Amino acid sequence: MSESSPHLVVRGVSKRYGPTTVLDHIDLTIRRGELVTLLGPSGCGKTTLLRAIAGLAQPDTGKVELAGRDITHVPPHKRNVGVVFQSYALFPHLTVAGNVAFGLKVRGMARREIDVAVDRALSLVKLGHLASRRISALSGGQQQRVALARAIAVEPDVLLFDEALSALDRKLREEMQVELRRLLQEVKATAIFVTHDQDEALTMSDRVAVMNKGRIEQLAEPRELYLRPASLFALNFVGLSTRISGTVLSADNGKVDVETKVGRLSALGNFQAGSPVIVAARPEQLRIGGEDETNSASGRVRSVVFQGSRTLVEVDAGAGESLLAELSGRDGAIPGVHDEIRLSWPVAETFAFPMEAQA
Amino acid sequence: MTRAAIIVCWVMAIGLALFLIIPLLVIAAASFSPTPVFDLPLTGASTRWYGRIGRLDGFWPSLLLSLQIALLSTVISLVCGTLAAIAIARGKLPGAGIFATALVSPLMMPGLVLGIALLQGFRAVGFTAPWATLLVAHLVITLPYVARTMISGLARFDFTLIEAARTLGCSYPGSVLRVMVPALAPSFLIAGIFSFLASFDNYPVSIFLADVRTKTLPIRMLQYIEEAPDPTLAALSTLILAGTVILLFVSDRVVGLHRMAGTSD
Repeated sequence: MSESSPHLVVRGVSKRYGPTTVLDHIDLTIRRGELVTLLGPSGCGKTTLLRAIAGLAQPDTGKVELAGRDITHVPPHKRNVGVVFQSYALFPHLTVAGNVAFGLKVRGMARREIDVAVDRALSLVKLGHLASRRISALSGGQQQRVALARAIAVEPDVLLFDEALSALDRKLREEMQVELRRLLQEVKATAIFVTHDQDEALTMSDRVAVMNKGRIEQLAEPRELYLRPASLFALNFVGLSTRISGTVLSADNGKVDVETKVGRLSALGNFQAGSPVIVAARPEQLRIGGEDETNSASGRVRSVVFQGSRTLVEVDAGAGESLLAELSGRDGAIPGVHDEIRLSWPVAETFAFPMEAQA
Repeated sequence: MTRAAIIVCWVMAIGLALFLIIPLLVIAAASFSPTPVFDLPLTGASTRWYGRIGRLDGFWPSLLLSLQIALLSTVISLVCGTLAAIAIARGKLPGAGIFATALVSPLMMPGLVLGIALLQGFRAVGFTAPWATLLVAHLVITLPYVARTMISGLARFDFTLIEAARTLGCSYPGSVLRVMVPALAPSFLIAGIFSFLASFDNYPVSIFLADVRTKTLPIRMLQYIEEAPDPTLAALSTLILAGTVILLFVSDRVVGLHRMAGTSD
């Protein structure tokens, strides 16, 4: 099978729990060796989708295919998936090596082969020296690695991570994100991460699926997701933004002029005149001062938050609208609170989204 | 803590331990007494009382009956109590707390009350076969021990472990056997031991349901002590004590008492 052919295919999968639709006709195709994140708030259906792929939840409709095999009705133990659970779910009555060997023993592999596979899996996660330890004698980070080794050892067709890093503290989590990505690429694993942590999603994945209310709002590479969000939800969920509501005055070939309470702005988008829209831009696009051919607005600085490599400046633009600018350390003068400043940003980095009821 | 407070606590701990153990040592010593009347200081040792245990009137049938009832009620309680505990611990059962309290409630009931209630209850429905009534009554005695231990054991059990085993290639029943049973082994063992011991030495409930031919060992022992108080009974008690110690020792070897007590991993 070639690198680019579909490896995991989810087709029209729906799932309801009582009156709640948890998954609403999900379509998702993942290539072999790809690392994909399902990103969304709690209750968006991301964990249910993962469980449907693992076989732990049965979809009401739709199909799941893995490695060219229809596994929709295959029980979890015959799917050849590897799952790393949020709680790690390590077996307390077994040692580290016993946990990693579990899936291989169940598969009836010869003892000698099991020993080799366990050694290899443990050395991959750098835990070879702890093979005979009890699970309860390990730290959280070590337990996380055992869970990973256990899932990798069975050489699954797809690795599934259910909020697998969220129990670690921030620093360890960030280290693990980078290490895990390197390790998964090394063993050429196909993996799906479920997380509500946007940094984790952007760091670890080849593609990110932003989920909301049982649907995938956008499936894109991290860079594209950030720079070209497909919906207001995706814009809000990943990264910060300035958002101003307004009404479309005129539309011209993928570009609209919008009347807002802070003045007239131009944005990318296809709308009819009179449509209510939200105009948005990423904070790092906003610069102090005015230039031609750009959007601009002025106001009084409400807060200045220093965050090391960047400084976030929030400006009260009047009429209940605010602007958020991210200034890097090289941008020179940082304004003070209560200063009157003018911010401008390029039209090509300004997007219009339809106004949503909840926004 | 001040020095004085520490000394008081130490004295308490050592004193209480002695208070609990000394009667057991006395009865063990008495069982080796060479004379029918136990007297200190000891003037020698004899094992002749041990030889007489087997010749006690009605001893073997009573021992057999007590073992049967204790084993059977423990096994039945373990199976039924664990299933009930799963329903309660998983928390999706409406009113789980009420059921949990109900299952454990006989523990808080005086044995006498329980005995009279069961006797009258069984009579009322015409259930009078002595062996069967004893077994059912002992289920009432043993179930709370099993339920209490298993509910707390299951409350700490992560059911994701079963899902993990399934995704690793284990069928559902296989996952229960390979993961849930061993992970809960300490709970099973402690529930089983307490349940067995509670049934084996129960007197107040059994006395209401026993008849002339169906007497459990504790009832028989009380009868012996009324008839002929010689060291034979001390010898029997010492044997039971030794059996209990061996049971606990073996359990400790198998799963570790520290795990059974839940004090550490």
